[in-house]
Amino acid sequence: MTTKPRQQKAAAPRRPISITAVVDCVGALAAGNTRGHVYLYDTNKAGGSAGLGTEQLRTRVTAGDQLLWNVLALECEAFVAIDGIEIDKEVCEPVRKVYPGTDVSYWIGTVKKSGTTEVPYQIRFKLGTRDEPLTTALSPALVG
Amino acid sequence: MPQQLAIIVLVDIGNALESRSLKDNTYLFDNMKLHGSENQGTGDLVTAINGAYWSDGSQASEQVLNWLPYSLGSIPPTVPRSYQAARTQQADRQALADLTALTGRPSSDGEDAEAALSAIRKNVGTRVRAAGRSRALAGQQVLDVTGKVVSDHGQGLHNYPAPVITDVFGEAVDEKIIYPAAYGSPDLVTDGWYWSATVDTSRPGTYTYKMRIQLHELVQRAGDWTWEPVNLVCESRLQVVSQPRRNAFTQAGLSYLPLAPGVSA
Amino acid sequence: MTNGVGVKPQVNIAVVVDVIGALSDRSLLGGNCCLIDDGPFDSTGQGTHELHTAVAPGQVVQWYALAVDLQTPVEIRNITFLGGADAAGGAGPGERVVDGDHLDLNVWSGVVPYSMTRGVPHRYRLELQMYEGENSVLHLETPGLLCV
Repeated sequence: MTTKPRQQKAAAPRRPISITAVVDCVGALAAGNTRGHVYLYDTNKAGGSAGLGTEQLRTRVTAGDQLLWNVLALECEAFVAIDGIEIDKEVCEPVRKVYPGTDVSYWIGTVKKSGTTEVPYQIRFKLGTRDEPLTTALSPALVG
Repeated sequence: MPQQLAIIVLVDIGNALESRSLKDNTYLFDNMKLHGSENQGTGDLVTAINGAYWSDGSQASEQVLNWLPYSLGSIPPTVPRSYQAARTQQADRQALADLTALTGRPSSDGEDAEAALSAIRKNVGTRVRAAGRSRALAGQQVLDVTGKVVSDHGQGLHNYPAPVITDVFGEAVDEKIIYPAAYGSPDLVTDGWYWSATVDTSRPGTYTYKMRIQLHELVQRAGDWTWEPVNLVCESRLQVVSQPRRNAFTQAGLSYLPLAPGVSA
Repeated sequence: MTNGVGVKPQVNIAVVVDVIGALSDRSLLGGNCCLIDDGPFDSTGQGTHELHTAVAPGQVVQWYALAVDLQTPVEIRNITFLGGADAAGGAGPGERVVDGDHLDLNVWSGVVPYSMTRGVPHRYRLELQMYEGENSVLHLETPGLLCV
């Protein structure tokens, strides 16, 4: 007899919704902008997220959800990291953390409130050895 | 020097396990967008392979395909796969240190000791079993997506292990367009194994191929938490083009270098 | 690999590029690009962006672009020989920039002419294309050929 892990319950800690940016580092550096070189995904497609694979990901959230942002470089040797996430602090205040024992970072925050409106935000990326970060050209959003 | 083409297979493992299908839960990328690959970041990628031949018809470039399977929402591949084992060891060492500290204490504060033991238990986590080919995962603790050890597997907080490609087959292989094989590698990012293929670019056309991908699901079996393999298949396409090489100075055959006049001693 | 007169018939010039470094710095200097040749004579500046390749008339010279991180694209977009002194005016068919889509089909090779002035460097402008976009083309004017 097998049992699957229980599905999320209100009281139990919930699995964070992961938002992953796949970045074509060489493409973004060559163009000097992120347009067409960033693909955003999250793990809440079943919950109603939309725009997966575009820069305008709409992540479906509810108050109390934990959000975890990380990046994946298309070229495995390339350095890509999130330098910052610009979002309404009333909604979410993501902070930078590292996977314990490494220098690989992720950003994590809790959704403070959710309404009916979209909350657009921007992600700033550090790419390669370029000094100035590049910011997403088209905004992803949280949708409550 | 052969041209290295990389195909990234990004799997939404949670949803794939739920629906028992990779369809709509797999996103594919390659580094050939500039050469005409289409539908990047979708499940419908068409990878362009631009072969070249010399004027005598012989193949002028060697193309090598490499597949890299990743898990969406998991600890990223830049964190080495040995991380799981390293974190397990670290949690064990911490627990041992805590136990030593605990045994050195006077036995009177029983309640405290109970609480301390409980904390240690949480820190150590519960080891899991693994079935079949997934033995590499056995005996390790389960981490969450932030790299912390998970003690209560029932909450579904676990980080999924990266998907593993176990076979590449289908039309492109049957037609001998690609010759795939699994190779050993000292690279920890790929856990020592990766699938790679050389391409015969002499027969242009669009060819499909399939990947058998093994995911792992954490289930409780006879009281033990076990990583059970789940094998699923996804499909993709290769578009092979072959064009003649040309001399860039002349747009034809070999000639004298176009030196500038007026360079003198 | 020698011909009848004992001279290696082909000199290969490898243009090795740290694509991510070059695009990040928007420059091929600072160690982002180095040139190496396998010629039989005393070339100078091996492993730098100032390689002067020593060649003999009749030899074939062939250029290759190679990315340090094998999976990033880099192609030679153009090679133009520069005029006397510092005059930038190039000459010849090398000026023709071909369709950017198929740079990978180009073979950058040519025969050293017997009329080449000896003992002076013939510098060339080397344009590299890394992926596509506003910042994707970078060039050097420091390397050269020197006829022995």
